[in-house]
Amino acid sequence: MAWELFLWLLAFAAAIALIGFSAYQLICLSDLEFDYINPYDLSSRINAVVVPEFMVQGTLCILFLLTWHWFPFLLMAPITYYHTKLYMTRKHLIDVTEIFRLLNEEKKYRIIKLAFYCSIFIIVIYRLVTTAVLLLMEDDYRTMESGIF
Amino acid sequence: MLLSMATFACCDLTASPHLRRCDLDQRPELSKGSVEFVASTEYMVRPPMPPLYFFLIDVSVSAVCSGLLEIVAKTIKSCLDDLPGFPRTQTGFITFDSTLHFHNLKASDSSLTQPQMLVVADLDDVFLPLPDDLLVNLSDSRHVVDAFLDSLPVMFQGTSNVESAFGPALKAAFMVMSQLGGKLLIFQSTLPSLGVGRLRLRGDDLRMYGTDKEHTLRLPEDPFYKQMAAEFTKNQIAVDIYAFSEKYSDIASLGSLAKYTGGQVYHYPSFQTAVHQEKLRYELARNLTRETAWEAVMRIRCGKGVRFTTYHGHFMLRSTDLLALPAVDSDKAFAMQLSLEETLMTTQTVYFQVALFYPYLSSRSVHGNAVSSYQRYTSSSGERRIRVHTAAAPVVADLSEMYRQADTGAIVSLLGRLAIENSLSQKLEDARQSLQLKLVKSLKEYRNLYVVQHRLGGRLIFPESLKFLPLYVLSLCKSVALRGGYADALLDERCAAGYNMMILPISRMLKLIYPGLFRIDENLLLKDLKEGQVPLGQLPLSAQSLDPKGVYVLDDGFNFIIWLGRMLASDLLNNIVGVELASFPDLSRVVVCEHDNEISKRLMRVLKELRARDPSSHQSCRLVRQGEQPRELSLFLTNLVEDQTAGSSGYVDWILQVFRQSQGS
Repeated sequence: MAWELFLWLLAFAAAIALIGFSAYQLICLSDLEFDYINPYDLSSRINAVVVPEFMVQGTLCILFLLTWHWFPFLLMAPITYYHTKLYMTRKHLIDVTEIFRLLNEEKKYRIIKLAFYCSIFIIVIYRLVTTAVLLLMEDDYRTMESGIF
Repeated sequence: MLLSMATFACCDLTASPHLRRCDLDQRPELSKGSVEFVASTEYMVRPPMPPLYFFLIDVSVSAVCSGLLEIVAKTIKSCLDDLPGFPRTQTGFITFDSTLHFHNLKASDSSLTQPQMLVVADLDDVFLPLPDDLLVNLSDSRHVVDAFLDSLPVMFQGTSNVESAFGPALKAAFMVMSQLGGKLLIFQSTLPSLGVGRLRLRGDDLRMYGTDKEHTLRLPEDPFYKQMAAEFTKNQIAVDIYAFSEKYSDIASLGSLAKYTGGQVYHYPSFQTAVHQEKLRYELARNLTRETAWEAVMRIRCGKGVRFTTYHGHFMLRSTDLLALPAVDSDKAFAMQLSLEETLMTTQTVYFQVALFYPYLSSRSVHGNAVSSYQRYTSSSGERRIRVHTAAAPVVADLSEMYRQADTGAIVSLLGRLAIENSLSQKLEDARQSLQLKLVKSLKEYRNLYVVQHRLGGRLIFPESLKFLPLYVLSLCKSVALRGGYADALLDERCAAGYNMMILPISRMLKLIYPGLFRIDENLLLKDLKEGQVPLGQLPLSAQSLDPKGVYVLDDGFNFIIWLGRMLASDLLNNIVGVELASFPDLSRVVVCEHDNEISKRLMRVLKELRARDPSSHQSCRLVRQGEQPRELSLFLTNLVEDQTAGSSGYVDWILQVFRQSQGS
C-alpha cells in the first residue's frame, strides 16, 4: 500500500506543477494583452515552459496507465493526444509574428487545459487522502492486532 | 512644420455661439490635419543611430552570368553620394556563395586602400572574423568602397559555384548589424542550399492544388526565416529582398523576411541585363535615396466607440495598437479595419489619429542655402520627430448615405489584402469565393434599401460610388496573386505579387489590377505633335479594343507591354523594333530603346510620359506581336480582365453572376 501513497503523492506534486505552468502562461498572455510585456519576452517566457509541461503531463498520464487507474488516465488522455498532435506539427511554440492574431485562441486553449488540470487535481487530492487514511487505519489495525497477545 | 512640445495652455474661448479657443489660429496643431512635432529625449530608448546600409550579395554562378553583379555594383556606386545621413552614414558588404566572404573596407592609417576579403567556410558556427571593422563610415572610407565596387564584378567572374549559404550569411549580417539597426538589402539568385535555413526544392506541386494543403505552398517552409525576421525587427533592421532567379527560389519563405521587418520584395523573374537593367537601376537607386524614417513606430488612435481590430501590411505588431517599422518610406501603405464597440454612436464625428514616431535624418542632396546648413546640423545630431495625421469622419445614421460616400479604391485595396491573407490559409478558390461573397452581400444590402421603394424587381441596383466595384473585384480575382490554379501563374510570381499587393498605395494597386491600355500608333505617325502633348485615352481591357492595324501599350505600373497588330505597316514595325523583323522573328530578345528614326523617338517620348506619371517605379518594356503564341497569351491577353479566359468569366458573365446571387435572399 505504501506504493499507492507514493504514487498519489507524486501525482499531487505533478498536478500542482501542471496547474502552475498553465496559470503562468495565462498570466503572461494577459500581460501581453494589457501591454505590460512585449511579444519577444512573452514568447521566450512561454516557450521555455511549454516542453517541461508536456513532459510532466506525459509522465503523469503514463503513470496512471501503468498502475491501472483508468479514470484519471481517461481524463488525461485527450490532453496527451492534443499535445502530441501539436508537437508533431511543430505548433507547440509561440510564434512572435502571429501572436496578436491568435491571442484569443491561445488563451482559450490554456483556460480549457487549466480546467482539466484542476479536475485532475481534485481527483488526485481525493485519492491521496483516502489512500493515506486507509494506510494509517491498516497500520493501526495491524499494530492493534499485534499488540493483543 | 516644427513645433516644440509646449504644455497645453489654457485659453479663453470666444463669445458664444462659436465657443472656439482664441488662439486656434495661432496653434496649427489644433486645426491642421498633418502636423509634425519635435519630441524631447524621454520619447526615445536610445539616441538615433547613424543610418546603415548593408548589402548581402549572392555571387554564385547564376548571379554572375546574368550580369546583375555589374549593374548592382554600378548602381550602388552612383548612389553613394545621395545616401541620407551624411556624414554619419555607415555601410558594409558581405558576399556569399558556398562560403561567406567578409570585406574589410576600413581605411585606417595602416594604408589600406584596397578592400580586403576574408573567407569563412564554417557555416555551422558562424563567427565574425573582424568584429569591429566590417561596418565602415562611408565618408571616411569612400575610396575603399569605390575600389571594392569597381572590383566586385571582376572578383567573381570565373566562378562556377552553384551553392548558396543564405542562412549563415543572414546570421552573419545580423551579427554585424545588431548594434545599430538599419537597412539590409539582399540580392539573391540561387535557392538557399547550405547551412541553416536551407530550402528544399519543393516547387509547385500540381497535385496539391484543390486540396486542403494547397495553401502550404505559399507559406514559409522553414521557421528559420520568421524567427530571423523577428530578430531583425527587434534590432531595428529592415530587410529588402531582390530576387532574380529564373528557377524556383521559394519567395514564399524569403519574403517573410521582408514582411515582418517592414521591407519590400522585388522580383525580377529570369533576370536579363537587356530587359531589366534600367528597372533594377531605377528601383535600387530609389530604394537607397528616398526619404526613409528609421526605427519608426506607428500608433493609431480613434475616438470613443470605435476600435481598430486588424492591420494589413508589412510591419511587426509590438502591441495591440503599435506597429514597429524598422524603416518606412512613402512607397508603403497600410490598411486597418475598425469595429464599432457600441451599437449606438452618439457623437457627430469620429476622429482618427495616426502618429509616426521616428528619428529624423536629412538627405545630403538638399542644396545650398541657409536651410541646408540647418538641416545638416540636425542630421548629425539626429532629432526625434512625431508626424501626426488627424482625420475626422462624420457619423451617419442612414445606410444609404454611407453607400453614397463609399470609396471604391479603399474598399478594393482592403479586399485585395484580405484575399491575399486568406490565400495563405485557404485554397485560392475559396479566397476568390469570399471576395465574390463580400461583393454580393454589399450589393444585396443596398438592394434591400431601395427595391421596395422603386419597385425595380429585375434589375441590378448599385450606387454611383460603387459602379466600378464589380469590375475591380473581377480584376482582383484575375490578378497574378489570386488567379486560376497551377497553370496560371508560377508559384514564385504569385507569392511575389502577393507581397507586392500588401504594401501598394491605392492608386498603384488599382493600376496594377486594372492596367491602362492606350492606343499609340496615331501618336507615332503624327508628324506635327509637339513635345509633351501626348493625349492618351484609356481603353477598356478587352480584345474588342484591339485593332490589328494598331500599336497599343499596356501599363500596369510595373511593366509596359507593347502590342503590335498583325496588319501593322511593316515599315512602322521595323522602325519601332529597330531591325528588319523578317530576319529577327524572336521578339523576346528585342530591347525597346531609342533607334535612329523619328518613330522610335516618338515612342520613347510616349513611354517617358507614361513613366513620369508615377515616379515610384520604372516600368520595364516588352514587345509582343499579335498571334505570337504563347508569349502573347501569357504576357498580354491574361491582362485583358474583361474577357473570358479559360476557367474564369468575362465581365458580362460576372455581372450576371453577381446579379443572380444578389437577387436570391
